[in-house]
Parts: sequence; structure tokens; C-alpha cells
Amino acid sequence: PVEGAGDANCVDEILKEMTQSWPPPLTAIHTPCKTEPSKFPFPTKDSQHTGFPG
Amino acid sequence: STDMTPPIVVAEYLSKYTPLLSLDQRQNYKDDFNSEYDEYRVLHARVESTTRRFTQLDGQCKKLVPGTKEHQKVHDEVLKEYKKIKQQSPNYHEEKQRCEYLHNKLAHIKRVIADFDHRRAQAWS
Repeated sequence: PVEGAGDANCVDEILKEMTQSWPPPLTAIHTPCKTEPSKFPFPTKDSQHTGFPG
Repeated sequence: STDMTPPIVVAEYLSKYTPLLSLDQRQNYKDDFNSEYDEYRVLHARVESTTRRFTQLDGQCKKLVPGTKEHQKVHDEVLKEYKKIKQQSPNYHEEKQRCEYLHNKLAHIKRVIADFDHRRAQAWS
């Protein structure tokens, strides 16, 4: 059979085949880390001013 | 009556990646995971974008009345895209199957590692 550009069955088959549900990608393996995330207490301008009125 | 149950094919990775017993073993499993992860991501992204494109065309198709010019236009687009895929990746189906296999295998390794981490966390708490 000739592949007709207007073959509706053919298009339906293609759509059925190409739209099969696809799972989201697996994420990488992370090494469990027990250490606390480092905190860098950058004082903001506002917090620097608090406690120092005037 | 004959039993028509298909034979159960056990994936080779299920017997290879048994529950973890040591941290060294954990590292080996993780190395194996990482050695195939890049290939997996490339294949996955390719299938994902192709699936998204055809799902979009499928959605357009369903909104239009069959027989109309617009409907035909989307059909032509589907055929054009399909031809393009076949030209760019003649082994698209094999790649998709390979990706599905890798997905299941890597998910299994990940699960085994997560179980091990969970057990260790409980043991230390």
C-alpha cells in the first residue's frame, strides 16, 4: 500500500503510538548528608539598625 | 485447559542489585547508577520532547472537525513530524525501549539504595 499523505488511519496510528504517557525523569542519587547546612548570618541593613536607635 | 500465562521474564538487574549490606557496596551501586545516568537523561529528554510535540498535535486534532481544511493541516503536520523523527533517529523505537529499560533499572538501584539509607538512619537514631 502506498503511504498516502491523507491516510487518516495512518495518522491515528502515529498519534496513538507517539503520545503514550511518559514518566518524568528519575532524579540523580544524592548522598545523604548529616551535616547541617551552613548558615551565613548576613545582617540586613534593617536588623543592623534595630537596637541602635538614634 | 491450557495455562496461557506468559512466562515471567525477570530482569537481570533484579538479581544483580540485591539489598545492600555495606557502604562500599552502596558506592558500587551508586557508581553503576551514575555510569548510565547520563545516557538515560539524554534518551529521556529526547522521548519527552517528542511525546510532548505529538500530544500537542493530538490535542489540536481533537478540537477540529474531521474533513475540514484545518484538520487536514494538522494531519499533514503529524505526518511531517513523524517523517522527521524517522530521519533524525531511525532507531527511535529502540532508543525509547532502551530508555524504558534504563528507567526501570536505575529506579530499582535507587530504591535499593534508599532502603539501605533508611535502615541505616533507623539504626543510628
